Amino acid sequence: MHIRAAAQGNPRRKPLRQRLKPYLFLLPILLFAIGFVYYPFFKTFLYSFSRVNFKGEITGFVGLENFRYLFSRRDFGIALKNTLQLTLLNVPITLAITIFLALLATNRRRGSAIYETMFTLPMAVSMSAAALIFKVLLNPTVGYINHLFQLNIGWYEDRNTALYGILMLTVWMGIGFDFLLFLSAFRSVPRHLMEAALIDGAGAGNRFLRIQLPLISPTILYVACTNMVLAMMTSGPIIILTQGGPSRATTTLIYMMYSSGYSSSNYSLAACVSLITFALTLLFTIGAFTLEGKKVHYQ
Amino acid sequence: MTRKQKKRLSDALLSLLALCLGLAIIFPVLYGILGAFKSEAEFAAYPPTLFPQSFGYTENFETVWRQVPVLRFFFNSFVVALLGTGVRLVFAILAAYAFVFFEFKGKRFLFFLILGTMMLPADTLLITNYQTVAQLGLMDSYLGMAITSFVGASQMFMLRQNFKSAPLALKEAAHLDGCGDLHFMLSILLPISKPVLVTLFVQGFVTMWNAYLWPLLVTNQNDMRTIQVGITMLTTLEDTNYHVVLAGVAISLIPAFILFFFLRRNITRAMAAGALVG
Amino acid sequence: MKRKLTALMLTLVMILSLCACTASAENTKITFWHSMSDNAGVLMESYIQQFNATVGKEKGIEVELVFQGSYADATTKMNSMLNTNQTDTLPDVMQLDATGKVSYHASGVAYTIDQARADDAAFDTGVGALLNAAMGNWNFAGTQLGLPFATSTTILFYNKTLLDSVNMQAPETFADIISLAAALPKTTEAGTELIPYAAIPNTPTLANWLGQLDSYVVNHKNGSEASATELACIDNGALATFLTEWKRMYDEGALKNTAASSDAFVTGQLALYTSSSSNVTSLLNKINGGFEMGVAFYPKVNEEASFGASVSGSCLVMFDKQDDAKKAAARELLLYLTSAPIQADFAVGTGYIPANENAVNEAVYQQLLQEYPQYKVGMEQLAVTPAAMRSVTVGPSTDFYYAIQNCVSDMLEYGDDAETTVDIMADELGGLLYQYAQANQ
Repeated sequence: MHIRAAAQGNPRRKPLRQRLKPYLFLLPILLFAIGFVYYPFFKTFLYSFSRVNFKGEITGFVGLENFRYLFSRRDFGIALKNTLQLTLLNVPITLAITIFLALLATNRRRGSAIYETMFTLPMAVSMSAAALIFKVLLNPTVGYINHLFQLNIGWYEDRNTALYGILMLTVWMGIGFDFLLFLSAFRSVPRHLMEAALIDGAGAGNRFLRIQLPLISPTILYVACTNMVLAMMTSGPIIILTQGGPSRATTTLIYMMYSSGYSSSNYSLAACVSLITFALTLLFTIGAFTLEGKKVHYQ
Repeated sequence: MTRKQKKRLSDALLSLLALCLGLAIIFPVLYGILGAFKSEAEFAAYPPTLFPQSFGYTENFETVWRQVPVLRFFFNSFVVALLGTGVRLVFAILAAYAFVFFEFKGKRFLFFLILGTMMLPADTLLITNYQTVAQLGLMDSYLGMAITSFVGASQMFMLRQNFKSAPLALKEAAHLDGCGDLHFMLSILLPISKPVLVTLFVQGFVTMWNAYLWPLLVTNQNDMRTIQVGITMLTTLEDTNYHVVLAGVAISLIPAFILFFFLRRNITRAMAAGALVG
Repeated sequence: MKRKLTALMLTLVMILSLCACTASAENTKITFWHSMSDNAGVLMESYIQQFNATVGKEKGIEVELVFQGSYADATTKMNSMLNTNQTDTLPDVMQLDATGKVSYHASGVAYTIDQARADDAAFDTGVGALLNAAMGNWNFAGTQLGLPFATSTTILFYNKTLLDSVNMQAPETFADIISLAAALPKTTEAGTELIPYAAIPNTPTLANWLGQLDSYVVNHKNGSEASATELACIDNGALATFLTEWKRMYDEGALKNTAASSDAFVTGQLALYTSSSSNVTSLLNKINGGFEMGVAFYPKVNEEASFGASVSGSCLVMFDKQDDAKKAAARELLLYLTSAPIQADFAVGTGYIPANENAVNEAVYQQLLQEYPQYKVGMEQLAVTPAAMRSVTVGPSTDFYYAIQNCVSDMLEYGDDAETTVDIMADELGGLLYQYAQANQ
């Protein structure tokens, strides 16, 4: 970085036009970042400390009253737990599955075009299409999964399994793209490194841990971060499949924001939930980027 | 067994394993498509079957076709995804370029200001953004559906990583040749970054194509719905018209699959170039 | 001469095109949001086509039909438009269920039935033919908001073949369900679990069961007269009575705490199924002769309770778009859709109860009743249902609905007693009402 900066010379000596240029390049993205990200965030912040009527008008300042009410609601704790559970399960499971599939597919073999296509196929299926298919597939009576495995599981109709049903869907939806990312990462590991290790007598496990894993670590970080944010935001499948039920078993924070705020016109409550979701996501991301400095290896 | 034979055998076994896993992964899709050909009575029958009695049963598709304007849904989805992804990519390129090739006051701050948007996902800002879009009179418009996705911080981040790895000598050489920034960007930087651009475009397009909640909120007219919202309107929570729903799903998958098989080659090529991370 | 002719031709063309313009401008275009999916959706489309081709053509009205998803989706949409003052994008006519009543009433752009009756004598006469029980549900704080279109009530569907095999009658009370469950085999012939009855109470079903006990769920007659501010079923003990009986059913193994599923019923895995009377047709289709389906009155909480369930379904409301032509057009559409022939046809096609008195006399409906007496039960139940019974209207409708489900489920699955649950519900449901009232004083 610092070499680059030096190469650019001292910015102060440049003419005004040159000095304004970078800001011009940044203007479009900043404009929309402010209008559609920071301004609504600020408004959400205001809402969380205000009394807001069903039209979305602020009618008074209430301090921390909205948060106090939110914490007193039983569904909030459950929504928090569900969201964290979904996130903490989704990220490692998706990583494990897609890294495994990518490893399996790294070396081209007969049939590799076919199975690579199969592995990436979920990416062509939209969330709502996937959700509707899973709704039928996991239906306890007419669905095929229970019949195929001779199970008697209620899936989306049973409070003990509904969240796992949602998890299955979200993991499945993520397979396609993450697989592709890892596949390209593995394939870009220099062949000579792998061959040298082979000559040194390193086993497959050793080569994976010592060479491949460090080299693909930036991809892992990226995939883990994006999946984490996506999982924290899980709401679409819940709106389509369970409406947060049964017995709040699939109520997530964003779903709660949608149902309490949007459908039940409690905007201040929705704003509180939104802020808390934001804070948690930020915390996780900071955690991941702290790891970046320590463990992630850039070529 | 010679070493070569051993390798061939293990390759065959691994291929077989991969194919089995592949089948398991695409199973839900197969199931959905097969279900589209089943009648209501076939669905109600116990035990459930995998294959329909006849692939000639097309009544479900006719029902979907009658109930909703499917082609229009597709067109809407396409326009919104193209608009959102295109604009987002252009903005991200400009920003990434500024962060890599310029030094300026507030660079760090602005970088984190943009990156910070990643931590404020659109879903948490749904209600307030909806109010903004409504006030701007953008309800039921393509712009309204795409406008919240113009900021692509992660795209900017990835492009910055990519531009950073572009040989600095290239830029210096271009400068010496009297090449302006835009010219350098368009004729040198972007062409060598094509793989990552394609990847980002495809990724963005897929995300936009799949968007559900936002298009649901900002559209009222049937004619402006995207396909994702459209197919969920074939059912409600209590409805059990699975046969019709799956027919809708199957129809919705057709262009996605065509696009997928067409773009997958691009994206694999892009990936093979090792462009994505580094 | 030639030039003159050209000029004449041009003038003629201009006049003609002008005429064409004004002719098309004369048509009053109105938008109609509906929420009928599946079979009912197809019917709705055909009615609008018919309307445009007949009455519409005659009176220069063109109706654009827009499907808005479920009632909840449509209400959400309406609320958000009202919130952002996007009233010009509202439709002229909208199909609304109970969840939308409060905000429609408070919208400030409602064109109520009372206003329309005052504006138009023919409309007033037409409305007179609609059933009182069905109309009453769409009356809010003394104002008639809309006209009933899809009217239904909750009834009991049972697997008659199965009940006959153990010599049992359709149950009338929760206690009957318990004795029926004891008589039924534990598994189906296919070897899967046989469930006697499955349901999770929610806002409308709780309103029914408390209504049978002569109680409302929330004050102001279940929020039908004014915005509800508190629960009305705590002090009179009605909620406690209901919860005690409900828990007994569960403890005796007669009740499974899952949402009633028509799939389980039609595949013979569920003996009793309570659902909207509007499902008769689709259930008969799905069972497809697999067993004989019986229909009976909605079960009562106990012997002292009265039979009945509140009217549900949806009504048609109008919005005031400050345009008399549009208002007149909207009135025509409402009259058309609630007329005897349409109501009878809709009832035959779906199983909804016709809201027009005269619909019963239509030949198609009479023929249907003869062929399938199952359709009759809904109407008969409507006749005995206490007149005071109302469906519930509350501001935080979604949260309220799920809070009821969750509290009752928790009681069953965590083994809490009824009194504790009454306290929890008083706290949780009361809290929702209180919060809403505070924010919207």
